[in-house]
Amino acid sequence: MSVALQVSDVRAQYGDLEILKGVDLEVPFGEVHVLMGPNGSGKSTLCHVLMGKDEYEATGSALVGGTEVMGLPVDERARLGLFEAFQYPVEVPGVSLDDLIDEMGEVRDDAGFAARVESASDLLDMARFRERAVNGGLSGGEKKRSEMFQMAISQPKVAILDEIDSGLDIDAVREVAHLVEELRSDDLGVLIITHYSRILRYMKPDKIHVMVAGKVVKTGGPEIAAELEASGYVEMQAGEATLAAPEVATPFDV
Amino acid sequence: MKTLDAQGSAAVGVSDPSWLAGRRKTALDYYEKLDMPSSIEEVWRYVELGFSIDDYVLAEGPGEAHEIGAGIAAALANNAGSVAMVDGHTVSADTGTSAAVFGTLSSLLVESPDLLEGYLGTLIDPDLDKFSAAHHAFSGEGVALVVPAGAAVIEPFFIDVQAATSGTVSFPRITLVAEKSSQASVVIRYRSDDDVDALVVPHLELFAADNSNLNVTVVQHWGAGTRSISHARAVVGRDANVHLGEAGLGGSMSRLQLTVDLEGNGSSANIVGAYFGDAAQTMDYRYTMHHAGVNTNSDMFLKGAVQDEALSVFTGMIRIDEEAQKTNAYQTNRNLILSDGASAQSVPNLEILANDVKCGHGSTMGPLDEEQHYYLMSRGLDEERTNRLLVHGFFNEALAKFPEPVVADVVTSWIDTKYRTAQEAGRV
Ligand SMILES: Nc1ncnc2c1ncn2[C@@H]1O[C@H](COP(=O)(O)OP(=O)(O)O)[C@@H](O)[C@H]1O
Ligand SMILES: [Mg+2]
Repeated sequence: MSVALQVSDVRAQYGDLEILKGVDLEVPFGEVHVLMGPNGSGKSTLCHVLMGKDEYEATGSALVGGTEVMGLPVDERARLGLFEAFQYPVEVPGVSLDDLIDEMGEVRDDAGFAARVESASDLLDMARFRERAVNGGLSGGEKKRSEMFQMAISQPKVAILDEIDSGLDIDAVREVAHLVEELRSDDLGVLIITHYSRILRYMKPDKIHVMVAGKVVKTGGPEIAAELEASGYVEMQAGEATLAAPEVATPFDV
Repeated sequence: MKTLDAQGSAAVGVSDPSWLAGRRKTALDYYEKLDMPSSIEEVWRYVELGFSIDDYVLAEGPGEAHEIGAGIAAALANNAGSVAMVDGHTVSADTGTSAAVFGTLSSLLVESPDLLEGYLGTLIDPDLDKFSAAHHAFSGEGVALVVPAGAAVIEPFFIDVQAATSGTVSFPRITLVAEKSSQASVVIRYRSDDDVDALVVPHLELFAADNSNLNVTVVQHWGAGTRSISHARAVVGRDANVHLGEAGLGGSMSRLQLTVDLEGNGSSANIVGAYFGDAAQTMDYRYTMHHAGVNTNSDMFLKGAVQDEALSVFTGMIRIDEEAQKTNAYQTNRNLILSDGASAQSVPNLEILANDVKCGHGSTMGPLDEEQHYYLMSRGLDEERTNRLLVHGFFNEALAKFPEPVVADVVTSWIDTKYRTAQEAGRV
């Protein structure tokens, strides 16, 4: 199967702070991958660098469905099929979710958009949020749901879901996991970012990547989660990381 | 041609009832004594007027009016009554069939000479400044509304004030009275064509008696060549509420000095503003919220944007008397600076003499928010759309609090257009 997301040697710094030190990563179409790593290892920075946030100085290559996106403006990356669900979705006062959806529809040459909005809205029970300001006064879980909703209507090639499970109670985590499985398709590659493994109880990722101190230090099958549980991130990159074991729950009691 | 002098004043006031003639005479004395205000005075700070009131003369009659029917007038097709004035002269008046007395001063002062004695011209002092003195001395026409006790008029009244003749000054006076336990909504629209170099000096007086609700929406849409210096004052009785929305879009220089007196216990005021200046426009707001009664509530919420070389000023004073315990008073002024050459002043002030109060003020100033910008662009919206949506959202937060949603919708579309036009011309 061809590759949805191909990241090669992506480096990024913020001012003088080197955050990403050569990230390599591949997510094929049809697969769901998980990127794990301790707080501060650079996971969110990777999302933003792939999305094109201009506060980072970045180099390297990122192909979305085979098209190079590094160097492109944020909106072009989005329209090429890259979607980022934000760890901290910002409130946009005075702009309703419906206002945003209208604009999203207008910039896409996509006959199925309107129908997808309605079906995703029903599926995610978003009706009561649509006239409210984007992320305005939403709880953590509601914000994540709104991000998932926007992902579903965007029909991206690559979806990067940054801490989509954080701040959620266990029922909501299960819901998110099931939703990701439901959206799994041959036209989509998903990268779920988390520093908890509890979401792994409810889904079956094809691969897990481990990031420590700005590099992917290990890639493997779902069994890696168990390994992390036993040893923590420290073992993964001797010398550099000195972080404690992540909160790991028993994986896959689905 | 009537000039701003004793003869002009006498000519304008030829059919005044005696009580009004006396006030006019006093005001003329002030007018002759007072100088044009200068930016040395605190309440005129930050702004250079750059003209003199006697550069202008009174219009003999109305100039050619805009067609009525577009925009706000269309949105207010169902109204409780409407008056249109041009250059200080009435061109049409539909007094409506509501329970309220509504009409032009020229007819009301003849039909019931004493009805307005306790109201008209009593709230805004003639010695406040030269413009106010001039207003009292030279104002010939206006509109009054008296809503009788207990009456609730649901449809809004519509007052359309235009300037059409360059070189003229007009003094529209609008006096709105909500008697006890009554309710009404009034929409005032100011407008002129861009090439009209006129000066307009309105006075707006609001009387909200005990338990009444008075909603007022002011849409200032003067043309680019028109100046306006206006005063407004509201007195709010026990458990009464005044809800005022002011949208400022036009004028080369437009100023509104507003004072709200929360006199009655339990009275409240919601003052909302949205203003958007471009080119070399100056928009100048001087608001005072005066809490005199116990258990009074006020909220001032103003959002302003400037682009090109525009200047905006907001000074907000919350004054809480010693007796005005259990008061809640808030003021917020948020400013969006859309061009390097544009500037805004935002000066919140508090003067609190009571000790059992909750007070808050916030003032912000800056460009469009970068995180919001990034978020919207990550959803595929191009730069221009993103900026438009953010400007729209910025104002929407204020316009959503306006008393008349149909009017707010029209204002929203004007604001969107104003920004879009600047975008298309490459100015922002
Ligand atoms: N915009 C920024 N400004 C300052 N420091 C940043 C910024 N973005 C990331 N960093 C720093 O880079 C490191 C990685 O952060 P981040 O990517 O958020 O980690 P993670 O998402 O893995 O927790 C942290 O040390 C963080 O403080
Ligand atoms: Mg993060």
